[in-house]
Amino acid sequence: MKNTLFTLFATVACAFSAEAKLNVVATLPDFGSLAREIGLDKVNVTVLAKPTEDPHFVDARPSFVVSLRNADVLIDGGAELELGWLPPLLQNARNPKIEIGKPGRVQASQGVRLMNVPANVTRAAGDVHALGNPHFTVDPIIAKAIAEHIAQSLSALDPANAAFYEANYKKFETTINAKLQEWGAAMLPFRGQHVVAYHDSWPYFAHRFGLNIDIFLEPKPGIPPSPSHLAEVIAQMKAQHIKAIIVEPFHDRRIAEKVASATGAKVVDFSQFPGGLPGTDSYVKLIDMLVARLAAALK
Amino acid sequence: MKKIILIVLAVFPSAAVSAQESTPATSSSLAPTVSSTTPVTAADVQALRQQVQSLTETVKALQQQVKDQQAALEKANLTGESGLPQNPEPSPIAGAENSPVPAASAPRRFPTEDTSVVSSAGAAAPSPTPGVTGTAPPEGFPTTDTSVVTSAPETISTTGAGASLTQPITIGGSKNYMNISLDGLFALAYSSARDLDHIEVGDHDPQQRGFNARNIELAFDGAVDPYFEGFANIVFKLDNDNETSVEVEEAFMQTTSLPFNLQLKGGQFFAAFGRLNPTHPHTWDFADTPLVNGLFLGPDGLRGLGAQVSWTLPLPWYSQLIFASQNGRGSTGFSFRNPGDNGMFFDRITTDREARGLQDFVWIPRFENSFNLSDTQTVLVGASGAFGSNETGADSRTQIYGADLLYKWKSARAEAGFPFVKWQTEFMYRRFEAGHGADDSFPVAETFHDWGLYSQVLWGFKKGWVAGIRGDYVHMQDSTFTDDFNRQSRSRISANLTWYPTEFSKIRLQYNHDFLEENFFLSEREVDSLFLQFEFILGSHGAHKF
Repeated sequence: MKNTLFTLFATVACAFSAEAKLNVVATLPDFGSLAREIGLDKVNVTVLAKPTEDPHFVDARPSFVVSLRNADVLIDGGAELELGWLPPLLQNARNPKIEIGKPGRVQASQGVRLMNVPANVTRAAGDVHALGNPHFTVDPIIAKAIAEHIAQSLSALDPANAAFYEANYKKFETTINAKLQEWGAAMLPFRGQHVVAYHDSWPYFAHRFGLNIDIFLEPKPGIPPSPSHLAEVIAQMKAQHIKAIIVEPFHDRRIAEKVASATGAKVVDFSQFPGGLPGTDSYVKLIDMLVARLAAALK
Repeated sequence: MKKIILIVLAVFPSAAVSAQESTPATSSSLAPTVSSTTPVTAADVQALRQQVQSLTETVKALQQQVKDQQAALEKANLTGESGLPQNPEPSPIAGAENSPVPAASAPRRFPTEDTSVVSSAGAAAPSPTPGVTGTAPPEGFPTTDTSVVTSAPETISTTGAGASLTQPITIGGSKNYMNISLDGLFALAYSSARDLDHIEVGDHDPQQRGFNARNIELAFDGAVDPYFEGFANIVFKLDNDNETSVEVEEAFMQTTSLPFNLQLKGGQFFAAFGRLNPTHPHTWDFADTPLVNGLFLGPDGLRGLGAQVSWTLPLPWYSQLIFASQNGRGSTGFSFRNPGDNGMFFDRITTDREARGLQDFVWIPRFENSFNLSDTQTVLVGASGAFGSNETGADSRTQIYGADLLYKWKSARAEAGFPFVKWQTEFMYRRFEAGHGADDSFPVAETFHDWGLYSQVLWGFKKGWVAGIRGDYVHMQDSTFTDDFNRQSRSRISANLTWYPTEFSKIRLQYNHDFLEENFFLSEREVDSLFLQFEFILGSHGAHKF
């Protein structure tokens, strides 16, 4: 019994001593990546969802409760993308530091104008997000805004290092601004072109680079492709000479391949999340790869 | 764009007014001959022409003014060159069609700001006003975009605790006081047994050949205030005569902000005993209750009025202690202070009495731990207990012990949660002291040592598709004195296939083979049953726990 108590106290002591670094929990890998850019070695970043899995349906694993309980900062999307799994975790975590409104809670959608906000919320339209499309981090300009919010949150919780976080944000901003020139130039020849995607995750990316990613293999968000819908897509692709189909790691690539072979288009492996594609462990590398892959496919 | 619309709007009515003004003037001069087809004089036409011309000129002048103003604004906004997004007004973009496509002359500068997507951030941070901060490169792609980012404090999501109390309830938006949903769970049943209501042990299971509606459930939940959350599940059931009965299945409040990882809960709620008992039928992987749950914890599960405290231990893995106390009275405290059907339980006339003291409550401890075996594999193990008195004698006690195991694998590339494999097993042991009944009316006091378990494997092999298999066994201690249908040892094997068109609907086909063993009073028999279960969910569907 004494031993058990000792172990318990040791664990508690460990938990306290570990507080030297801020514990940052990100629901999704893109937010985690931005948090690392700002916090560097002054924060421990834990990411809940895997970069390769469908962010709409993540298992509420009990270990996530432990991560959230020990979190100083929680970064979530704030646009109901994690609606299916985050609420019970937060209920169980009982951590007042990461409640909405506290400096320890960063909601990435804060200050973002969400696209495709439905006028009427009906599930007849499929898996519709009432607040608007939540896949916004792939727009670098939005990523900067999220990074800035993260920097503000970290500065508020760790004022001693405020200048450090601020400087890291500035560095990130400068990098993105410079990179935007590259990415913009690489995408410029394809402005106005149509691209097909498996799921409607790319309106922000399309908006940024002047593409039209407006035809989807899913007949409605979250509804699996049906043969009749795919026939329609194939006809549209042929008529408009569409050259690329975007799929994410968790999508059924075979369906995209079938459509590609029927139309002569290329299947382009995309991911919303750093780590979702090999060699993309940071946000900038991810966008680099997306731009490069799409440019190669559209050429 | 807005300005042009404003001007057009402003000009149009004035034009209309002037037209109206002119019409009465002409018509009054022509008043006597209005009914006839008097030709309009050339002078009138001339006057109108002049009016139209002057109006056209006014509009042109105004348009020019607007253009000039826009040009001036752009010069002020962008450092020198015109950026790509030429829409100076933040316009909520409805699709890629609206995205700014540049004119033939390629821009030399890709925008790196976009106020249409990102707002100027809070006051604490330097405002990313294009052209003002020195960070923007002198030429290239815009780096800001006000069309995508708005001012920060305005758009903080209000989901969850602390939402404004002055907002109306709107379902599906972000401004709810509470989440409301309606779940309809139905089953079309066939069974070789005519007494399906005896073969099936759960109250939400199919009860008769033909159609069944045993779980039409209204669910409410939401933040009460910064300190509490509230939940309620009201269930409507249709019995075999199609009469509706209503059941307050759960209604409780729980704390949200206690220190030391503590949580208190009070009201009517399911006991945290094992895996299945605390859950609602619509989350079950089979169309009916496992035998051991129905026969030990009761047809409605172990639930009741009470209070619960839970504590997540400060350990590096998930570890939680839960301790609850409930009245344990009535059919929802089945093995406890349950007066039984017509005042009889296990053949004894029950003592239906008030609680004498703490020993008459049901005490329900649970300890659960979870580990991640790998990135894709999770294990949860739990041990539960339920201790209290029963009504078959003056001092008769009941103890139930439970152990449960859940293993789940989910693909690292899961779409909508598929594919996955889930193995769940629960074991229970019940010690039941069956006394002499009310007023010592039964000749024998016995102690039953009963045990049972179920084990099930679910395989989500394709998005929306799950195949399942389950084995059930319950051993009831033999007795030469007690003649009760619920004291027959029995086993069951079930297989099913479920299709979830979306997470809000499902269609399930299940086959059960039941085997009831012979005992002193009952002969052995076998039963085949087939269920076609179908379900819909309306409204906000609560997130699933692990």
